Amino acid sequence: MSQAAVKEQTLPRAKQNKKPRWQRMGFFGYASLIIVAFLSLFPFYWMFIVASNGTDEISKIPPTLVPGPRFFTVISNVYEALPQFNQALLNTVYVGTVVAVAQVFFSAIAGFAFAKLNFKGQKFMVLFVILTMMLPSQLGIIPLFILISQMGLMDSLGALIIPALVTAFGVFWMRQVIDAQVPNELLEAASIDGAGVFRAYWSIVLPIIAQSSFVLGLFSFLATWNDFLWPLLVLNTPENFTAQVAVNQLKSSYAIDYALNMGGAFLSTAPLLVLFIFVGRRLVRGVMDGAVKG
Amino acid sequence: MSQTTVGKARASKPPSPWKPARPNKKLNNPNAVLSLNGRWGFLFTAPFFVMFLIFGLAPIVFSIVIAFFNYDALGTQEFIGTANFEELFVDTRFWNALVNTIDIWLLSTIPMLIMSIGLAAVLHNPNLRGSTFFRTILLVPNITSVLAIAIVFGQLFGRDFGMVNIIIGALGFEHVDFIQGTTSSHIAIASMIVWRWTGYNALIFLAAMLAIPGELYESASLDGAGKWKQFIYVTLPSLRNTITFVLIVGTIGGLQVFAEPLILGGSYNGGDSGQFSTLTLFLFEQAFVAYKWGYAAAIGIMITVIVAIVSVINFFITRKLAGDGK
Amino acid sequence: MVVAQQLNGEATTHKENLMSKKLMSLKAAALLASAALTMGVLGFISPAAAVVDCTKATTSTNECTVLTVNTFGDVIQPALVADYRKLRPDIKLSIKKSDLDALNGTGLFTQCAAGGAGNPDIAAVEISYSGFWRAYPQCFVDLRTLRNTSNKNASDIKKDYLSWRWEHGVGYNDSVIGIPTDVGGLEVAYRWDLFKKAGLPYQRDAVSKAWSTWPKFIEFGKKYVAKLTAAQKKANVGFIDNIGTIYPAIMNQGTEKYYRNNGTDQGQLVYKTNKQVKTAFDTTVAASTAKIGTRIGQFSSDWNVGMSKGTFAAMLAPAWMMDYIKGQAPATKGKWDIADIPGGGGNMGGSQLTIPKGSKNQQEAWNFISWYLAPAQQLKVFQMYGLFPSTPSLYSNADLVGFKDPFFNNAPVGKIYADGVKKLKPIFEGKLQRCIDMAMGSAISLVANGKEKNAKKAFDGGITAAGKCK
Repeated sequence: MSQAAVKEQTLPRAKQNKKPRWQRMGFFGYASLIIVAFLSLFPFYWMFIVASNGTDEISKIPPTLVPGPRFFTVISNVYEALPQFNQALLNTVYVGTVVAVAQVFFSAIAGFAFAKLNFKGQKFMVLFVILTMMLPSQLGIIPLFILISQMGLMDSLGALIIPALVTAFGVFWMRQVIDAQVPNELLEAASIDGAGVFRAYWSIVLPIIAQSSFVLGLFSFLATWNDFLWPLLVLNTPENFTAQVAVNQLKSSYAIDYALNMGGAFLSTAPLLVLFIFVGRRLVRGVMDGAVKG
Repeated sequence: MSQTTVGKARASKPPSPWKPARPNKKLNNPNAVLSLNGRWGFLFTAPFFVMFLIFGLAPIVFSIVIAFFNYDALGTQEFIGTANFEELFVDTRFWNALVNTIDIWLLSTIPMLIMSIGLAAVLHNPNLRGSTFFRTILLVPNITSVLAIAIVFGQLFGRDFGMVNIIIGALGFEHVDFIQGTTSSHIAIASMIVWRWTGYNALIFLAAMLAIPGELYESASLDGAGKWKQFIYVTLPSLRNTITFVLIVGTIGGLQVFAEPLILGGSYNGGDSGQFSTLTLFLFEQAFVAYKWGYAAAIGIMITVIVAIVSVINFFITRKLAGDGK
Repeated sequence: MVVAQQLNGEATTHKENLMSKKLMSLKAAALLASAALTMGVLGFISPAAAVVDCTKATTSTNECTVLTVNTFGDVIQPALVADYRKLRPDIKLSIKKSDLDALNGTGLFTQCAAGGAGNPDIAAVEISYSGFWRAYPQCFVDLRTLRNTSNKNASDIKKDYLSWRWEHGVGYNDSVIGIPTDVGGLEVAYRWDLFKKAGLPYQRDAVSKAWSTWPKFIEFGKKYVAKLTAAQKKANVGFIDNIGTIYPAIMNQGTEKYYRNNGTDQGQLVYKTNKQVKTAFDTTVAASTAKIGTRIGQFSSDWNVGMSKGTFAAMLAPAWMMDYIKGQAPATKGKWDIADIPGGGGNMGGSQLTIPKGSKNQQEAWNFISWYLAPAQQLKVFQMYGLFPSTPSLYSNADLVGFKDPFFNNAPVGKIYADGVKKLKPIFEGKLQRCIDMAMGSAISLVANGKEKNAKKAFDGGITAAGKCK
């Protein structure tokens, strides 16, 4: 670190407009980015290739790398094997949305309290929240199953929603966001003007954290969409399946049909990719904001 | 993995739960807006605590209790003290799973760290065209399900007709049996993790790089430091905290890895000879195949202890780095 | 519901059961109301309207009963589901497939521990788990207590099934917890064209004779491998798909596996002393040393592709495997044949259909199970999908014995599998069957993958690991 410290002292003297050498963008820079972009997208492309060609075709040497004519056949096979596939996608959207909204709501009010309010045990509670984030959630999966079943929620979407309404991570995240983004002065000014806690939260905190809430909601939505172990455990009826359970269902036949599997994987992923086209930039900003916050 | 955000925030922001700046020692929350009635805090946090206690904590506490039982869920339950733990310490499958977990962690974390920092350095260049496009693409792997991706990777890594082996064969090498081999199966699993998280971490690093004052580079440049030297002497030192956190958060995630090996192998045993059984997978195997819930709970506690040890180490390293980092 | 009441005497209790569920009755009422409204408006009130389309039903209503089924693979065959729909349009089968261990572990076991909550109406229990579940009959409905539309309970249909297969579904308290599906009679499917090319016997009788014992089978394989070109060897081409399958095949040819039937429900654990275990292990290791296998994992992507590309020329094939081969390698039609398994007789797979305790439609579940597993339906399943029936009355049935399959070079598969199944001796399946199997399986993998050179050490390791099962 001493290197940097030394440089820091020489700071003020450099003020040039000419772009320094290090900033030139070389061939290797672009090449590496393009390769990584290619590798990032390739598995999705491959799903489509296999789903549109069939396993035999892609196992040739050299393998087929262009889409084939069978895509719609494979997709209709998916719907034949599991007519409820669309229902599964809808269920996932429903569960994901409810969970996202609930998590944002509960996390925001708790995060606000932890960040800006002074109440007894506050310090201990925050520590508690942080500590619980370290516990592996898999540890409690069996008792949770028994609990959910005793509540009569087995084989219903409620079994996915109820345990996911709050997370320690969401609360901590929101606490950090509110701490960093909402200036105390604003709240003080509001309370001098006679605003109570509710008013202050509603008219000052909420508008400021709207962007970050959206990002938290997106991450909750994605996590819910992609969860598979718990839904697999609690759902029995195909009409109640989520996208991941549906994909797993296709995978669990004797006759492993890779085209069918990939077709299912593609169908379960495509909605996310479409969503990503609209919110991708915001997600990127969310990840990066989170990284530098504070 | 998004805990990274938390970690970073904790690293450089003074009013953190670990290092509270204390303007007023008597306050429960030194940062609070005192003109707001603090009692509302109980109401605001109550929904979270109530639901979290019921659905998050209670099941875990229950698991911790049954770790001290010979717990036959359909038969009798008998208190056996620490017998489960004693058995665990001499269980070769446990140590095998631990070694595998660490191996997979090393194989994924190190390449991921190097690649994501390298990518961030490229993205950091202000002359880069289409930087938003590239940033967005990098995040795509992170949003997809492990299940869908494991299906794809399982096929790509097939021994005889998988794309990876077709390429290896075309280069004149022997085909690799990725699933059956120990190291090779770890590579296959690690590659899924690397694929998923490299772009995400690159964005974290990029954010940290953007926070480095440009003047540092300019002065280094004036001192005659080339691109590489600037990277070594300016960029890397400034990333120290971020690296630590990406590393540690990756460790916590890595110690709990199970979805990738589960889907790749198609069962809880982690390969025919347990060659890619991991700690969490071993937990599930004991719970759902061997039906030894008490034993599984003991494994879960060991995982927690290992994670806690790593977190404590993390805590001290971070303090130290933060201490002389300025 | 009109139909249902005519068909079963207990429809009233069933209905009451249904109605006791608050939510459900609400939903049913709402549905009824809306249905009545629609019909009223459209003027469709006629007897024909009583037959509603239940294929879209998601929960049981007055008109439709939804039977949830947890299964794996294709235990419940789609064509027969369609048949049943014609027979009983008011019943909808809602099928969830899982992997084998998940079905039992994260499914039945956890559900039973939770007092039957989340139980499906019907669950398939594979034979390797049957011994386990016999120890926990409290998790299932005693099928002797239910009577189907022909007024038959489990005891009444017992005589239809192979007695040793029936035993797999009898609980420790003598209750009947499951009815047997197919028998996985084991033979060898082989590519006669590839055998011919290698200059080996290729007609089914000659082949059966050439590998009448396991050592001869390994010798046969060695001869086949010797004829492979260097390029083929480099591409991992081999004789049999996976030598790991030999172990369970030999195990199933004895009279006892890990347990001795000592007249008790639990049986007596004998895996440490049973010579059969050692023989099976050693023979499998010998096959591994002879390098006749491709080491492709069964049900992997390479396996599926290899089947059509001739990566291996032989595979141990339970009857249900025939349908799998047809599905995976349609282009190889006519190039396969079926020969007797070395040592004679063998079984792999087969399931029981059970009604878990928490089933909410026990009566309808029993109606379906007793229909689905009756000889007539088993015959149809065999003809369509190759699953071999567990009902011996069919073994002399001309339709079965005379059944030839063009895919397998017109082999008289009906006769071959019937002969094989007749040679099977009853084997006692104990509680830890699956667990011990897995322990021994991984010991074999260690040797097969070259991770353990000392076979004796691997065997001892397997036995020690099996000791951890409880």
